[in-house]
Amino acid sequence: MSQLLTELGIAVVAGILQGSVYALVALGIVLVHRASGVFNFAQAEFGTVGLFGAYTAVVLWGWSYPAGILFGLGAALALGLLTERLVIHPLRNASRVTVLVGTAGVALAAVGIQFWRFNETPIMTMPKIHEGFFRIPLIGASVTVQQLITLGVLAVASVALALFFRSPSGLAIQAAQQEPTASELVGISVRRVSMLTWAIAALLGGLAGILSGPYTTFTAGFLTFGAGRALLPGFMAAVLAGMRSMPGAVLGGFAVGIVEQLGTLTILLSVPGARAMMLFAFLLGVLLLRPQGIFVGRAATA
Amino acid sequence: MSVLEVDAVSIHFGGVKALREVSLRAGEWEIVGIIGPNGAGKTTLFNCVTGFYQPTHGQVRYRGRDISRMPVHQRTALGIGRTFQNVGLVKGTTVLENLMTAQHLQVDYDPWLGIAGSPASFAEERRVRERGDQILGLLDLDHVRHERVADLPYGVLKRVEIAAVLATDPDLLLLDEPGSGMGPEEAHELGDTLLTLRKEFGLTIVMIDHHVPLVTRVSDYVYCLNFGEVLAEGHPDVVRHHPEVVRAYMGEDAAPGPGDTAVIEPVVAAGNGGRG
Amino acid sequence: MTTTGQTRSTPVYPGRHADGGPVPGAGATDETTVIPVVQDLDDPGVPDDEWDEEFRPSRGGWVGRGLVWAFLAWLVLALPVNRFSPFEVGVADIDVLSLAAIYAIGGLSLNVLLGYAGQISLGHQAFVGIGAFTSAYIVTNLQLSFWLAVAVAAGFGAIQATLLGAISLRLSGLYFALVTLAYGTFAEETLFGIAALTGGEGGKPAPRPLGFESGYAYYYLCLGFLALVLWLDWRLTRSKGGRALAALRENPRVASSYGINVKAYILLAFALSGIFAGIAGSLMAHHDEVIVGSSFDFRLALLFILMTVVGGLRDRVGVVIGSAFFALLEEKLLIEMIERLCHFLLEPFGLAGWSIGEVLQGTVGLPLEFVGLIVGPLLLLLTITKYPGGIGQQVAPIRLWLTGHRFDRHAGAVTEVEVNDVRA
Repeated sequence: MSQLLTELGIAVVAGILQGSVYALVALGIVLVHRASGVFNFAQAEFGTVGLFGAYTAVVLWGWSYPAGILFGLGAALALGLLTERLVIHPLRNASRVTVLVGTAGVALAAVGIQFWRFNETPIMTMPKIHEGFFRIPLIGASVTVQQLITLGVLAVASVALALFFRSPSGLAIQAAQQEPTASELVGISVRRVSMLTWAIAALLGGLAGILSGPYTTFTAGFLTFGAGRALLPGFMAAVLAGMRSMPGAVLGGFAVGIVEQLGTLTILLSVPGARAMMLFAFLLGVLLLRPQGIFVGRAATA
Repeated sequence: MSVLEVDAVSIHFGGVKALREVSLRAGEWEIVGIIGPNGAGKTTLFNCVTGFYQPTHGQVRYRGRDISRMPVHQRTALGIGRTFQNVGLVKGTTVLENLMTAQHLQVDYDPWLGIAGSPASFAEERRVRERGDQILGLLDLDHVRHERVADLPYGVLKRVEIAAVLATDPDLLLLDEPGSGMGPEEAHELGDTLLTLRKEFGLTIVMIDHHVPLVTRVSDYVYCLNFGEVLAEGHPDVVRHHPEVVRAYMGEDAAPGPGDTAVIEPVVAAGNGGRG
Repeated sequence: MTTTGQTRSTPVYPGRHADGGPVPGAGATDETTVIPVVQDLDDPGVPDDEWDEEFRPSRGGWVGRGLVWAFLAWLVLALPVNRFSPFEVGVADIDVLSLAAIYAIGGLSLNVLLGYAGQISLGHQAFVGIGAFTSAYIVTNLQLSFWLAVAVAAGFGAIQATLLGAISLRLSGLYFALVTLAYGTFAEETLFGIAALTGGEGGKPAPRPLGFESGYAYYYLCLGFLALVLWLDWRLTRSKGGRALAALRENPRVASSYGINVKAYILLAFALSGIFAGIAGSLMAHHDEVIVGSSFDFRLALLFILMTVVGGLRDRVGVVIGSAFFALLEEKLLIEMIERLCHFLLEPFGLAGWSIGEVLQGTVGLPLEFVGLIVGPLLLLLTITKYPGGIGQQVAPIRLWLTGHRFDRHAGAVTEVEVNDVRA
């Protein structure tokens, strides 16, 4: 019994830490969905591209770590803007399923290019920002400094986003999302707002990738279907947030992380793919029982 | 027995009361007209009868049977057919294809046998096609049978839609603005068509329309709705000159109309010719 | 809006959340969008002989068509025999060609859902995988016949697809896409990880049926099943069920007012898609002879999407060509075959030394094995943004000419149709 409790404690800690990666991805998904009703299946791939950018700069070119991070974020940003320009804008009148397929196409294209350009070393390692780790007393969970940095960045990003949405540009985004035609009339360029939204989403994705890449070794498509899979958990976190609440996306990320970690408990050891099963069951439960989301908060009633 | 009875039906969407205690009945072989300004709840009433909405209170009865909670396709099977305000057709397919789709309930083979390609399904497909052609012929639509719906003008589509709903083999026909987009002459012809169809198919017809001359000419009984309530009902000429009805139309239409009671007629021709 | 007839009386729908936000499960958010619809002149319900009643090809026209038909038949049927063939198909190559036929069945399976019913599936690898493991289990563990195994695999495919379909009825399109994504991962890692049924990481052997052990014979077996699936698909679009799906995809309200039980027919589409996928899975299992769960991953699901969308939704010829194209591209055979063809044609002129593979590698630095990974997604993006009719639209003029119509370069052109995008 006490062993189960210990394991539960470890699962909660590990879940929150892994969940902060999901939360970063979910923030981007929610942002894009609020702006255009699009389910962005390329969101996780923004992260992988950012990670590959940072890896190229730091490991292959020997840049300093901060410069590498900036370069990675730049790569993610470029992919985000390209997506908006080449896929989202041309498909603005298409059905939403078509747009979904389009974003999946962007992800696939990015993965293909990663496979091609990095085929000499298929399995790569990104150094950590800080190599330290320690154990949390009592619970016994092992925590790396890198994971704490991710959690910290998530906190900073959330606060920054909240502040941004109170600034004039942020208010313009919200206006354009709610009343596109009226916003055009008062001089808000819906097009520019769309670019801005995708830029922010790409940066959030990039952060998720650059920060979670050093957790383990990585391959092409790391965040979409590789070891650092964050696309589906990110979407689930966004669903928990009702696809609209920013704080909800963060809480949703933690919740999904914890649920997924429950799949690692010893009692489920004999079940193959227990993590995937937990996620599938959780998603079904949420969508069928509370489709409007759980962590929706004030955003839904506003 | 009445074919259709709407019994004190109310419908609420959140706080909005779209219909308040509306009652209406249509007897065998009757043509019942519904008029009223925009937003009066006419289409909402149709949606209640066909099953897209369920009444918050009240009952919808078809030949004495309560159908208030029955799904749409089952009501079609009972013999309730309807047209839509903005053309209810499958736009990506041809006119004949639409008529074949509309005969869904009369197609006499299991869909799985159709997929397997049983000999019976081939024969039945031929029959369905001929029946579709026959109905198109009745409405003088032969020339458009292989045209795609999306390529046809609005006025033609209004007739195609009537042909399609006839193909569902209805007893009760609900027509939502069949004359929209038509000029006075076309509307007059439409009136003749409706009277013929009633005779040939033995139909009971409930129609919403803004062409007051059309409605008053063909209807046996007229209801006027305003703000989700029945404002007036009775013989067409009585309703048309009912003071409340005239006021409702005056209040709705800001443009000053000529004359007194005739004021409801200019509304008529406005239609929506630009659609489709 | 001063004219009386123009505004809808009450634009308040019960399916919409009070604040207008997205509510999964509330299917109908009457949002009108414009989606491109291929003007398919070979429309279901309009037999070829009725479409262009005046036109009959001349005798010369028929001879020309006959020759092209004969050429196509030779191309497909005589490939393994290598008779007069420029492709020099070997044993390894013939397995790739069989795979192309199997992928075509898988592509047609997804086309039933995505094309006809308008339901997205990002977990189609699970549909195929369940068929594969069912078939392998029956043949290997139960020692029963392959033919029974295919039938049961198709049945299991139908059952799991119908269960998933029942979930889709309660969710709107995009949320359902997430469920299929999670379902695919769940199937790959959990279901296909149950060692007792699937052999775990070691995989499950799936021997080929008696008489079809050779790659050449197996190729014809796959072609036979492809022909069967094409027949069913064709009959679907020309019968009650296909018409019902076309109506409900575009406008569920009109469909139900025609008396169509929308939910039942969505389930029918899922079941049929599952049957096709089950057949594809069974053939895939015995094609590989040993199958492992990890080969049914998310990338296979995306590959099916590539095949159907680039091939051209609702266009069975396009889907088959698209599937074969991607199968050959994935297995690196396509470019090799083109090279062999070029070699065959150019050799008499002494120009045989040229190679596309070397050109690609030399100028762009793109080795052959990565061509599919790069070209596929780019074709997908190009298709949905510029040529929504896909390959099917491009070959439509030839296809129509072959079936006895006048040659019209613009046949199958895509036009925009306003559609109530309700299921998404």
